[in-house]
Amino acid sequence: MNRTLRYLTPILILLLLFTFAAITPAQDMAELELWYHGGTQEENDETRAQVDRFNAMQDAIQVNFVELAGSLVAGTGYNDAVNAAAVAGDLPCILDLDGPNLYNYAWAGFLAPLDDYMSDELRADILPSLIDQGLYNGKIYAMGQYDSGLALVGRVSLLEEAGVRIPTSIDDAWTLDEFNDALASLKALESVQYAIDLKMNYGAGEWYTYAFSPVVQGFGGDLIDRDTLSAEGVLNGPEAVAAMEWIRSLFENGYATLTPPDDNEFINGNAAMGFLGHWMATGYYEAFGDDMVVLPVVNFGARQATGMGSWAWSITTQCENPDAAWAFMEFMLAPDEILSITNVNAAVPGRFSALAMSDLFGEGGRMNIFVQQLESGIAIPRPITPGYPAVTSAFFTAMDNIIKGGDIQTELDAAVDKIEQDIADNDGYPVQG
Amino acid sequence: MSAPALIGLFLFVAMPLFGGVYWSFTNKRLISPLPTEYIGFQNYQNLLGLLVVRVAPEIDEATGQIQMNLEGNPVYPRTRTVIRGDPAYKGYRYWFTADILGQRYVVIARDPTFLRSLINTFLFVLVIVPGQGGLALIMALLVNQRLRGRYVFRTIYFSPVVTSMAVLAIVWTFLYNPDQGLINRFLSAITFGRLQPDWLVSADSALLAIIILSAWQAAGFQMIIFLAGLQGIPQSLYEAAQIDGGNTWQQFRHVTIPQLRNTTIFVIISTTILAFRLFTQVDVMTKGGPQDATVTVVFHAVDTGFRQQKIGYGSAVTVLFFIIVVSIALMQRKLLRSDIELE
Repeated sequence: MNRTLRYLTPILILLLLFTFAAITPAQDMAELELWYHGGTQEENDETRAQVDRFNAMQDAIQVNFVELAGSLVAGTGYNDAVNAAAVAGDLPCILDLDGPNLYNYAWAGFLAPLDDYMSDELRADILPSLIDQGLYNGKIYAMGQYDSGLALVGRVSLLEEAGVRIPTSIDDAWTLDEFNDALASLKALESVQYAIDLKMNYGAGEWYTYAFSPVVQGFGGDLIDRDTLSAEGVLNGPEAVAAMEWIRSLFENGYATLTPPDDNEFINGNAAMGFLGHWMATGYYEAFGDDMVVLPVVNFGARQATGMGSWAWSITTQCENPDAAWAFMEFMLAPDEILSITNVNAAVPGRFSALAMSDLFGEGGRMNIFVQQLESGIAIPRPITPGYPAVTSAFFTAMDNIIKGGDIQTELDAAVDKIEQDIADNDGYPVQG
Repeated sequence: MSAPALIGLFLFVAMPLFGGVYWSFTNKRLISPLPTEYIGFQNYQNLLGLLVVRVAPEIDEATGQIQMNLEGNPVYPRTRTVIRGDPAYKGYRYWFTADILGQRYVVIARDPTFLRSLINTFLFVLVIVPGQGGLALIMALLVNQRLRGRYVFRTIYFSPVVTSMAVLAIVWTFLYNPDQGLINRFLSAITFGRLQPDWLVSADSALLAIIILSAWQAAGFQMIIFLAGLQGIPQSLYEAAQIDGGNTWQQFRHVTIPQLRNTTIFVIISTTILAFRLFTQVDVMTKGGPQDATVTVVFHAVDTGFRQQKIGYGSAVTVLFFIIVVSIALMQRKLLRSDIELE
């Protein structure tokens, strides 16, 4: 026993020393932590591959990819984790965040501005909608590889069977009346159960705000007044009430269901059309091929509106080596890398140079409608205010209550009260120096 | 000797508790550059603020008569106008309306969701404690019989307890789907389509749906405790009862039930405390909706504290919650003293 130990001890000590040597990185190697929300499996794999490519192509910076399990939709759990880390002073160097949360983080001083890093050349090549989404108080705090697209999809065969006109660009989008007629004729088809899948399986959360605030805007309302940041008279005004009445009528008329069991109602043929973000488009195309067509959002009367803003990269103020972090971001923003992720998730490539190289999104490409919507300015960023978390939660709660039978005016009034209370609780969100 | 345990208790129980009490008197926010300030009992006032306002019908200015709508009912002003019209009502929100003896009363509260969460939580506890306890006792009696394969049944009944609630909640969301879910398909088959509840989608049935799932999930745990209790009853008592001519029901009523007294007390107290913590099912399945029908105190604490980023306010919710649960547990202990020995 004793003899064995005597031989073993030096060997163990040597082994320990080797282990330490092995895990201690080279002297001048910068190690950065990166947090990523859980997207779809393909998206996660591709992002991880991009990080690996970056680590492999140079020796100075090592980016450690950390994927935090979020919820299925818009990373609810991920946001909770980031909030907790921000308070604990435990944020990573590079943070992946969903568009509208940026204003809250930037206001609180957790994000470093990127303006000094971005060359004029780069800035001019980036989609204006991405710049708009990243701007808070005159500075850019986040930059995404791609922007999101929100549109309708349909099947050419069904639309023709129902005798519905198929719009081909945003200029000849359906009007509200045309859309209502289309819904009625599609529902009447024998081969489908209902007209449109609204992805209600995502539940009360960011999807409601992302997808249905454009409807409110299309009717002439909005979530808040974009200048005063107050919701009074805007979210509970007659236009917003009309929008909510119309949304509820979709369910009352049986055009849509409140309880789709999963994401596949369009693919499995239950629904004739889909209202969707770009992230479903690839799967839909795989199911139907050229029978699937992307349709521009409906012109509801007051204006044409759609959603924008997606996950973007940012550098936190807790990062000790922001230059290295930017080197990584610059790599991610290269047109080739942008296309390698957008080919997987069907999001709109964030740079004009990448767009020009894309068969999917370029002129005549089958996803081109998404680009038209972003470039023409009909896409509206979600409210640019540090109080966004309160705004979105008030809106999607009210909408959930309304479609499940609540009184529209009462629910919208309650949402406005919550938003106003939040503004008061935060002393009106004074701009920080 | 007890140092490791005490350190653990201090770090993970006492510290957060004191932290919560301290923060509940501040306006601490989760993500904010603004300084945290001491605000006294403001959070508690905001939680509990409740007023009943009598609303007079609108008077037609031309005739001086009460305005009537087409159905012949008086027209009342919008509650929002009433609240905005009186500075004393500042910060209050509409909760519900009650028409009593031809008078309209509007109940307004500073945080109607919190008050609703109190009601929902108590309702949940009141139903789940007897419901789940009764179910557990029946299951325990079933698997306590000397029948073949009783270990298989015990395992099956216990398996939901060791399954993650988040997973179960997602599975049950599918089961509860009104059009395609298994439960409504089954109900449709046995009632010929007459009984088709909307379950989670309707404010009337959402809490019931959560109660059924919760009882199903947790009853296996109480079943094991009851089973242990049943097996601790001396066989001689049953033999004595049989000699006295007691039938099965009499044996159950006069031997089993009294002998299970201490077990039952433990089950009631532990179920009550566990039931008050209702959160996961609600968070996964309904997010407190529709129309606050399933919001619970713990859900409201997490929602206000983390998602709405008002840590101070969320802390006040948990402090009130702590006081409520502790006083109920103490009350139960007093009412159901378990130190009586039965022989």
